[in-house]
Order: sequence, then C-alpha cells, then structure tokens
Amino acid sequence: MIISVENLVKKYNGYTALDGLNFTVEDGDIFGFLGPNGAGKTTTIRILTAMIKADSGNVLVDGHDVVKEPLAVKRIINALPESNGYYEWMTAYEYLEFFSNLYEEKASKQDIHKLLEVVGLHGKEGHLIRSYSRGMKQRLGIARALINRPKLLFLDEPTNGLDPKGRRDIHDLLIDLNQKHSTTIFLSTHLLDDVERLCNRIAIINYGKIVRTGELDRIKGKGTIEDIFFMSTKEGAL
Amino acid sequence: MKTAYIMQKEIKESILTPKGFLWYNLTSVILSVLSYLFLTNSELSLLDQGEMLYMIMNFITALGVLIGLVFGADSFAGEIERGTIEALFLSPANKTEITMGKLGAALTNWGIIFIISLPYLFVVGKGGQNLLTGIAYLAILGTLLVITFSAFSMGLSARIKSMKNSLIISFFIFLLAGSPIFLSAAQRKTWFGNILDLINPFADAINTFDSVVIDSQGFSYQIGRVAIICGYTFLSLWFLKRSASRLEM
Repeated sequence: MIISVENLVKKYNGYTALDGLNFTVEDGDIFGFLGPNGAGKTTTIRILTAMIKADSGNVLVDGHDVVKEPLAVKRIINALPESNGYYEWMTAYEYLEFFSNLYEEKASKQDIHKLLEVVGLHGKEGHLIRSYSRGMKQRLGIARALINRPKLLFLDEPTNGLDPKGRRDIHDLLIDLNQKHSTTIFLSTHLLDDVERLCNRIAIINYGKIVRTGELDRIKGKGTIEDIFFMSTKEGAL
Repeated sequence: MKTAYIMQKEIKESILTPKGFLWYNLTSVILSVLSYLFLTNSELSLLDQGEMLYMIMNFITALGVLIGLVFGADSFAGEIERGTIEALFLSPANKTEITMGKLGAALTNWGIIFIISLPYLFVVGKGGQNLLTGIAYLAILGTLLVITFSAFSMGLSARIKSMKNSLIISFFIFLLAGSPIFLSAAQRKTWFGNILDLINPFADAINTFDSVVIDSQGFSYQIGRVAIICGYTFLSLWFLKRSASRLEM
C-alpha cells in the first residue's frame, strides 16, 4: 500500500472541506480521484503532498507520516497542481535544471534532455516557456513532476483545457509511465473519459467524504462511470 | 545549497531582467544628477563636503530600503499570484531555505546599489572629513536596514498573499520610515518628530550618519542607535520566519 488515509479532517474558517476521509492506494495503481468542483480533491492532494496540514487524521505515504516526515515524503513523490504556474522567463531546460538542483540526486544534462524527449518537447528545450502553448506547458509541468523519478505522482486535472490530441498524448504518457516505470499515479479529475481510459481503481468524493471507492470495473458493474458518478454526487448522496 | 539555487533563480528573475536594469539605471541617473547639482549649483556647492556626503548617503539608504520593500512585497505574493509557488513547495526545499534564498536576492540587490553609488560617494565626499568612515557606516547600517525592511515586506507578502496590498502597505511603511527626510528641521524638533526619530530605524540610521560624518563623533555615541536598528532587524527576521512557516496554499 503506497497511500493510507484515515479519518482525515480539514476545516477552513468553520467550513469542513474534508470530513473524515478514508481510502488506500496500492502500489502500481492509476488511482482516479473523482468529485465535483469543491468536493475536496485539491485539498486532499495538498495534504497528501505535505503542502498543508490536516486538522486531524493520519496519512501515510510509502510508510512515511506526511506531518512528521514531510521531506521524506517529498523525496519520493511529485505533483502537477491544477493551476501550475511557470517561470516564463526561463527556457524549458533551465526550468527543469532549477527544480532538479533542489533534490539531493540531481538529474544530469542527458537525463533532462531524455525527460524532455519523453514528454514530447525535444527540440524545444531552448525556447522560452512564455512562447509555449498550453499543451506544451502542461507537458513541461509533467516533466517537472518527473524530475526526481517519483514513485508516486499526483496529477490534479492534468488534461483540463487541452485539445483532443493533447489529451490523448498525456494519456499515452501516463500509461507508459505506469507500465514501464511502475509509477503509481494519483489522478484527480472530473473528466470521466480520462478515468475510463486510465484508471484501475477509483474513489469518489462528495462534500468532503468518500462516497465510493474500489476497483473501477467492480464499481461500474454493467453501468457506466457517468451513471455511478452522478448517482454518487447528487445532493445528499452520502 | 538549495538556498543558493533559489537565490540564483531570484537574482535572475528580479535583477538580471529589464526591470532590474531599470532600477539600476534610475539609481545611476538620479545619483549623477544629485552629484552634479552638489558640485555645480551655486547654493548647494556652498555646503561642505560632509553635508553633501550625508545627504547623498540618506538618499542611497532610502533607495535601498524602497527597492528592498518592492522586491519583498513581490517575493511570496507574486509567486502565489503567478501560480509558481506550489511547485517550489513540492520540492524538498523547506520554507526556511526558500525564504533565505529570497532574502539573499534582496540583499544582492542592495549590494549592487551600494557598488553603483561608491564612485558618487567618493566624488561628492572627496576632500571632506570622515569619507571612509561614512561609507563603512552606510555599508553596515544600510545592510541592516535593507534586511529589516525587506524581511518585513516579505513577511507581509507571505501573510497577505496579495502583491497589490503588500505593495500598498510597504509604500505606507516606507513613507513613515522616510518621514525624517520629508520633515523640515523645525518639524523634526516637535514632539511628533521626536517620537518618529525615537522609534524609526531609518531615522536612527540617518542620525547616525549625521553624527559620524558631520559631527565626527565616535562609535560610543552611536551604540544606542545601532542597537535599536539591530533590534528592528531581529524583530523583522522573526516576523518573516513566523509568517513564512505559517504560509499555506
């Protein structure tokens, strides 16, 4: 088990964003974390990546407590936040080099070039990021999230705003990462196509509570993911 | 080491850019104009070298503090608004390393302004008394003041998370801090001026410059004011550390 979440609670000024969350993620999963806007997906990711602290509950990532050992967690994970900004005055190569320098094990020049090739930015490494399209920036964000060869990768709405080809490319990249490099992927999304195509296990969150979790095929049964999602997230479906 | 990489990034982002060069060119232009006026204007040229040196030292200190405040206000709030801070927080660099990198860049900025101003200080203060002592005091007290105001502004930026509001408050603080420059000699002798002089680290610095450069008084006369400035520096660093450690997305 690479992630274990028990009774996670987070409140913002009296508003309960997470209300006793429980779920697990296994090694090698592409885990879909679904929920409507405001359900608590981003807050959950921020707690799991040791960026914010929960009010109560336990979170273990690869056996490390995110509150007591945040740096140990950050060494083995990485993430692409939903509204990831870029140092637009840097080139793609400089951007990756900068983040690589923040880790104990720095990526070599070849590693960075290889990574840019993997995400399809080969030949564009010397261009300023401000000249990149949205899809190219998203690929660069994924390259940045892979700079430390993470065991566990968190992606928050990674295909939002991309055209069909951009989405397909990201899907292929994630499948490749999962199958060839055994990277566990925690994918937060409300795009059900993404879930259908990529995930083997899912959890659905609504009003800060997990309303369904398990293997995608078992949850779906003979229905569709869309039916399950709407049934689970309609008002009062807790 | 992570601090050094973050500092390098900040320097490239804020200093080695057209924005950075604009500040430095502006510094050079204003110092050139001031120096020219001191040396050629019939009334100003009647001032002795010590007076001129004192005035230009005040200006350099004010400029260093102003730029420190502006860069400080942008430090955290700017990154939050541009969406770049999350990637930084996801890295194994802790908040202290990130903060020190940013503060180091603000100090580098002051270092560049100080180096730019050296030739002007030598030209204006040449032949007068206490030139080197004055420059040494400017280096030390200027650095302490830039740390104080930059750290305060960075702490504010981490707490408010809005660049616009951090900038507005920072400018207000700058006007308060720079008030001794804006007040006339008579106003500075009123109760309001006295209070400002007492609690204002900027006023303490310029009173020290006055005492060292014009009155040729020794270090023993300056200890009280220097101690107050050091106190403010520690207070600001404490505020910054506390604000940065509490910073959450």
